[in-house]
Amino acid sequence: MTKKRLGAVGVIAAAAIAVSGLFVPSANANNTIVVWADGDRGPNLEKVLKEKGDWVSGYTITVKSFSNFDALKDAFDKATDASGPDIVMGANDWVPTGAKSGKLAPITLTASQKARFTAGQLFDLTYKGKLYGVPVDVNNVAMIYNTDLVKTAPKTFGEMVALYKANKASKGLKAGLCVAGGGMSWGAHSIFSALGADAYQFDSRDKIVYNRSFNGTTFGKNVRTHLLDGKKSNGFLPASDAGCKDNFLDGKVPYAIIGNWEWKDYVAKGFTMNLMPVPGVVANKPGKMFGSVSGALLTTFAAKHGVEAGAKSLLTNFFGSTDGQVRYQKVEGRPPAEKGAALDATVSAAQRGFGAAATLSSLPQIGAFLNNNAGGANYWDSAPAYWTAVLVDGKDAVVEGNKLAAIWRANTTAGKADL
Amino acid sequence: MTSFFRGKISFAFKLVALLLIASVLITLTQSAVAQGEYFIAAFLGITVFLLALTYLTKVSIPLKFFLPGILLLVAFVLSPIIFTVTMSGYNYKTGNIISKDEAILQIQNRAFEPDANGTSFDIKIGRYQAQEALLVSDSVNNAFFISTVRDRIPLNPADLTINEYGVAESAPDFAVLSDSEMANADKLYSGKRFTYQDEYFIALEGFEVGIVSRQVLSFDAEKDQFNNIITGEVYTDNGKGNYAIADNPDQYLEPGWRAPVWFENYTKLFTEERLRGPLISVFIWTVTFASLSVLTTFALGLLLALALNKPIRGRRVYRSILILPYAMPSIMSILIWGGMFNTEFGAINNLLGTDIAWFQNALFAKFAIILVNLWLGFPYFYLVSSGALQAIPSELLEAAAIDGANPRQIFRRITLPLLLQILSPLLIASFAFNFNNFNLIYLLTGGGPRAELDGELAGATDILISFTYKIAFGSSVQDLGLASAISLVIFLLVAGISLYGLRKSKVLESFQ
Repeated sequence: MTKKRLGAVGVIAAAAIAVSGLFVPSANANNTIVVWADGDRGPNLEKVLKEKGDWVSGYTITVKSFSNFDALKDAFDKATDASGPDIVMGANDWVPTGAKSGKLAPITLTASQKARFTAGQLFDLTYKGKLYGVPVDVNNVAMIYNTDLVKTAPKTFGEMVALYKANKASKGLKAGLCVAGGGMSWGAHSIFSALGADAYQFDSRDKIVYNRSFNGTTFGKNVRTHLLDGKKSNGFLPASDAGCKDNFLDGKVPYAIIGNWEWKDYVAKGFTMNLMPVPGVVANKPGKMFGSVSGALLTTFAAKHGVEAGAKSLLTNFFGSTDGQVRYQKVEGRPPAEKGAALDATVSAAQRGFGAAATLSSLPQIGAFLNNNAGGANYWDSAPAYWTAVLVDGKDAVVEGNKLAAIWRANTTAGKADL
Repeated sequence: MTSFFRGKISFAFKLVALLLIASVLITLTQSAVAQGEYFIAAFLGITVFLLALTYLTKVSIPLKFFLPGILLLVAFVLSPIIFTVTMSGYNYKTGNIISKDEAILQIQNRAFEPDANGTSFDIKIGRYQAQEALLVSDSVNNAFFISTVRDRIPLNPADLTINEYGVAESAPDFAVLSDSEMANADKLYSGKRFTYQDEYFIALEGFEVGIVSRQVLSFDAEKDQFNNIITGEVYTDNGKGNYAIADNPDQYLEPGWRAPVWFENYTKLFTEERLRGPLISVFIWTVTFASLSVLTTFALGLLLALALNKPIRGRRVYRSILILPYAMPSIMSILIWGGMFNTEFGAINNLLGTDIAWFQNALFAKFAIILVNLWLGFPYFYLVSSGALQAIPSELLEAAAIDGANPRQIFRRITLPLLLQILSPLLIASFAFNFNNFNLIYLLTGGGPRAELDGELAGATDILISFTYKIAFGSSVQDLGLASAISLVIFLLVAGISLYGLRKSKVLESFQ
């Protein structure tokens, strides 16, 4: 190599290093707590955290938003020590996988901090006896009805079916009851429950009994009575949630199950939040509605970034406090999980309605069972298939009901070890 | 002019281009180092060196042309293959993602339990006699003390400044840290265990609260095992990426780590009924799907090419229209077809006057997939067949006609064999492509229908690659090691079938 060439190599090397130095990727800067959230929650969090900047003195808090919840989950799954967040706003079913994979770190709350939440909410974010975050949002669904089509709140499931059959032709109804929020598994759980398929069995003290499932035969017979004409669907309940929201908003479906994250869309269309559980086959025994919490979860990256204590303080001072949740949910619009915030005067009627629905009849979406394929299938993944099998494929409601019950039994038996 | 571009200016351009590329690569190297990806960092560093060596010296002229291709081949073909092969020999799944050292650290960090009463104290963080210390307020017992890693020093309330909540704000010889000092000392204090009593210590849960806890597990590095201090249980390395009790392998500590299990992922495919059953049916459907896709798209493409090979009015327009499905992004086409097959609102059921649940029935779903793939694939074979038809010498066809062969005989005996010889590599490539046609299956049917209630793991239209995806990413428990093993089996199958096909068609020989 000539001297000239060597000189050129030297110049290139020096210049390249100098130029690249301008773009050196920075790990989380010291004293900065990084929070990851989805595209809905992120901007709201950022706004609220900016309004009052001293939740944890001495730290800067930055919020990174991802386009949607799936993108957030995907990014968190791939997060590394250098790139990972200190706190992530995640769902309760992230807890078992996050804890197993070493991405979430446990947090211990004091008795007074625990008292701000219900035992069920804390249970939702617990894995193998350790808590991995603080509950922030209540996620639940409830049934509403169109007062133009339904004059009084239904008392039994049969009453709804009768109304549908009576008005189907004259009012061009596309369905009687449909699931607009939560999908045919979580969202439809209250329908399962109303017809006798209570995934969670409770003892006399209202404690969940595991290793026991619902009676698939009773459930199947109720499905036959209320949802089928012979072997075919009577059209009351569509097997899928496609089009439900639009059809309900168009006045073509009298009853719908909606999620609390979308109540504003219904209010904007003039619907009142006449929230109620799905009535049971007999009066005063309504279906239990699904409810769980999303939380601010502590990650193991916080310790690696040297902000563990700061992140824990942020969890308790902001995410888990009355003041923090009131400010945040004022913008976010979901029912606050924290008891004080739920009672705050600024909480809207819809938030309060959904919050009450969750408190009265919610079910824990226990993450441990979500991750279990014991029995060859996962109950929550399989539940929508029940509707397809019975309402579309014409399979026997009792036989399929018993299969579903068996899956739940197998899942809970295996999943109990992870509680 | 030519000398101008060969002279100093061209050298300057080359330097600038190299400078920019080297800058980007060095930036990426730094990023890789920061994220602990040392192999990637090393590769990028070597790349910078090779680029400089190749383009600033005359070490090898051919290398100047080949180097970018070689580097990209290594980065995007060889490395993923090596990584996949490596991971297929590991227990690499949810719960076994991190390294063993990291897993040990995390088990230690979690290996504590709060005392039975859930005792917690308000604390102030500071320094006492040059040690990290906590000023602890036990408001229940109206007691105050300073706690360091070694000692617990009781305090007289009269000596303290106590706020309206009963929390001590300051104490003699105790220097409370300022907010910024606390933030800077986060890591230092978070890792400490401050003295309380007996085996119990105080650990920080934020800057305001200390929780009374005790260590439950201790790590014995020499024996590579965790000991439960309370129960005496011993957790040893089970060789599969977890510390487990030898007599009770189901009782293990989390998190685990990615550990080599050699051929276990491969043997699982044949020994676990849960996988073996679906794998056989999925394999059969994959071969059927790929074969039918090639046959139907080739047949239709060739038919149209033959039809438009003759001068007819509006041929150009027809040709343009036929290429349209190929010009449109396939993802869009698949989604549109998915809508058209919708049971309630789909155009197909509306046109036919039926209410077929296309994606709920295995046969209908398979038919729909073949039909959509025909739509997506025939323009390609139309194009290549048209080109190939031009390449067949017209003398051959004329000679055959003079010899009395009818058009059908000419096609069967001359045109088709010659076309097949020319198009064999493309047919084989098409087979390999469809063997792994993930987009179509994922977007159109999602692999379904699947009898979830009967515990079926694979759907009726799942092909090997979509089945692999389900195992790797389809549920919240991701088994990347097993998915890598299946991927490798797919790779070997496709490579084997392709090589066999090429050998049979003697195409390789014709290229020699």
